[in-house]
Amino acid sequence: MADENILLNVAGLSAAVDEKVILHDVDLTVGAGETHVLMGPNGAGKSTLGHVVMGDPEYTVTGGKITFNGQDITDLSTDKRSHAGLFLSFQAPVEIPGVPVSSFLRAISAGRPGVGDMKGKQFRKHVKELAEELNMDPAYLDRELGVGFSGGEKKKLEMLQLLLLEPKLAFLDETDSGLDVDALSVVSRGMEVYRKRCNGTLVIITHNTRILEHVDVNRVHVLVKGRMTAEGDASMIADIDENGFEQFEQAAAAAAE
Amino acid sequence: MGADVLNNVNAMPAPTWHRLGMNETAVELPEGLSFAAQVEVEAAAELIGEAGAFDAAVAALQERVDAARAAGPADTRAILKAVDPDVDPADLDIPALSTYEHKAARQEMANNVAEAFECGMGEQATAWLAEAAGKGAATVFAPAAGKHGQATVRIAGVDGAANVAAIDVVAPAGATFDLTVSLDSPAAGSGVVGVVLRVFAGENAHVNVTSVHTLDETWMALDDTGIVCDEGAFVTVRHRMLGAGKSYTGLATDLRGDLSRVDVDTRYLAAGQDVRDFNYIVRHRGKKTRCNIDANGALMGESKKVLRGTIDLVRGCKGAEGTERETVLLVDERVENKTIPVILCDEDDVAGNHGATIGHVAADQLFYLKCRGLSQEAAEGLFATATLEETALAVEDETVRAGVGRLAGRLGIPYQEVEG
Repeated sequence: MADENILLNVAGLSAAVDEKVILHDVDLTVGAGETHVLMGPNGAGKSTLGHVVMGDPEYTVTGGKITFNGQDITDLSTDKRSHAGLFLSFQAPVEIPGVPVSSFLRAISAGRPGVGDMKGKQFRKHVKELAEELNMDPAYLDRELGVGFSGGEKKKLEMLQLLLLEPKLAFLDETDSGLDVDALSVVSRGMEVYRKRCNGTLVIITHNTRILEHVDVNRVHVLVKGRMTAEGDASMIADIDENGFEQFEQAAAAAAE
Repeated sequence: MGADVLNNVNAMPAPTWHRLGMNETAVELPEGLSFAAQVEVEAAAELIGEAGAFDAAVAALQERVDAARAAGPADTRAILKAVDPDVDPADLDIPALSTYEHKAARQEMANNVAEAFECGMGEQATAWLAEAAGKGAATVFAPAAGKHGQATVRIAGVDGAANVAAIDVVAPAGATFDLTVSLDSPAAGSGVVGVVLRVFAGENAHVNVTSVHTLDETWMALDDTGIVCDEGAFVTVRHRMLGAGKSYTGLATDLRGDLSRVDVDTRYLAAGQDVRDFNYIVRHRGKKTRCNIDANGALMGESKKVLRGTIDLVRGCKGAEGTERETVLLVDERVENKTIPVILCDEDDVAGNHGATIGHVAADQLFYLKCRGLSQEAAEGLFATATLEETALAVEDETVRAGVGRLAGRLGIPYQEVEG
């Protein structure tokens, strides 16, 4: 990959929580406009990687560097990483009682080019259109954030934020988990719209290869026990689907010794 | 012109240590107040009921309460003997009672709905509010049995005056009624804006009360409510105490009928030197009665807040369940917050739950909000914005929405207008 096309570069990243090392010397390079898939067994550190790239204070970076869009963001605050163009779709989005979705969306759009400049009516119209695009009942916009939402509605709301904020790169942390067929197709559509509309870059964290059926994947990365153990093209997905992660677990065990 | 200071306001039924300074409050009224009684009522003419309808409804309920009691077995407990003046002092089984226990036992012996009726702010404040509203001047809403009705009462600040509305809601069997009360100050000035509200919810009636305070900081708000629920009645109360330099809110509910229920949903905001003082009392007397008291608020500047919530599970309320929760966001280190959940229990086979979350935005919520680009300051500001916008979304009244918009401007809180 030509250096000028690199959007995210994670180099030698190690991270720990409560002195327990979760990520060991992880490398990940993602080019602008590409779609990468991060796979691995449960507890491999996939979600942790997404959280550490976003600057989750629960984790301590013990080594390495994160460069995004040419800027070293290793020590940047999470909110500034967001404004720099990073996005993390949560596996389990939080509920915030007392905060209507509409108030939340308006607040997170403030100060962003385009969507932050929209007047009230124009903004509401835009949000409503995005909700309709995701088969989301606009009545949800008046409800409290996440409160009483089904798993599918929560994930749709994550996709709505993705389309609203149009980040440069989005980590989708198991956005497909626990969804029925209809919700899964809505999420797939959201990913497609995001990629086409703003040449979006995706890092999809998933266990489920079904979500990848309609996505052109550029690279696949396999994380096992906090170590990147393999990387390859989209053909790896079928291989993992067929044979699981056992082949990579041995490599991870060898690396740990 | 009445007292300059109202004492024993928002008193907890069962006091705690006096040194904590939370048992009750004294309300110092502004000097030289006149009584304005300028109240705007918006309701269909057929909803207006007759004076005395509330007392008549309570009397009718009393007849059934007495009949049910006569059919029941006599009570031989020592606690009841203890309040009997003719009791033999030589009977050493009689317990020594606290003031609260004594009063509770007397109420139980009398079993008198009218005598037990109370508003949350306490006798002195309730009497003062009734006097300020004008004797016999209560607006009575009385929808027909099984029918639906709605009304809005707007009480605006009158400079130098106490502008108070007295309202009775009498919802007969099967009726549903929505009442919105707005305490607002569209014009500059100072004074007291208040409401004293009595609600009788008949058998299986459903009453929704919404009260919104959007007063500027030069005004005092007094919001006093008493509710009686007959069998299967359901009352929801939405309190939105967003403005006023000092606001005092009292709500007492007598869940007299079996299977009756009250849900209280409170949101409050306080900034600068604001004071928010709440007293919620729910007496579970009927079997399988329910209450949920849910309060959410944000305190900014040097504001002070005290919220007393008492769930009283009275003997006989088998199967009752009461829950109170509060979430308080302390935006500024200088704020003073007091939360006093109390559960009194004189019955088995009941459940009383309480919980409070006090502090800053929860870590997982904060990380989520930061991931969406909000700094800690912006994340905390979102809760103030959300409180205002939620009110504007929930209350479809232009006066309320205008008041919320004005309040947002005064407090410098980002706010998007809600379309009608």
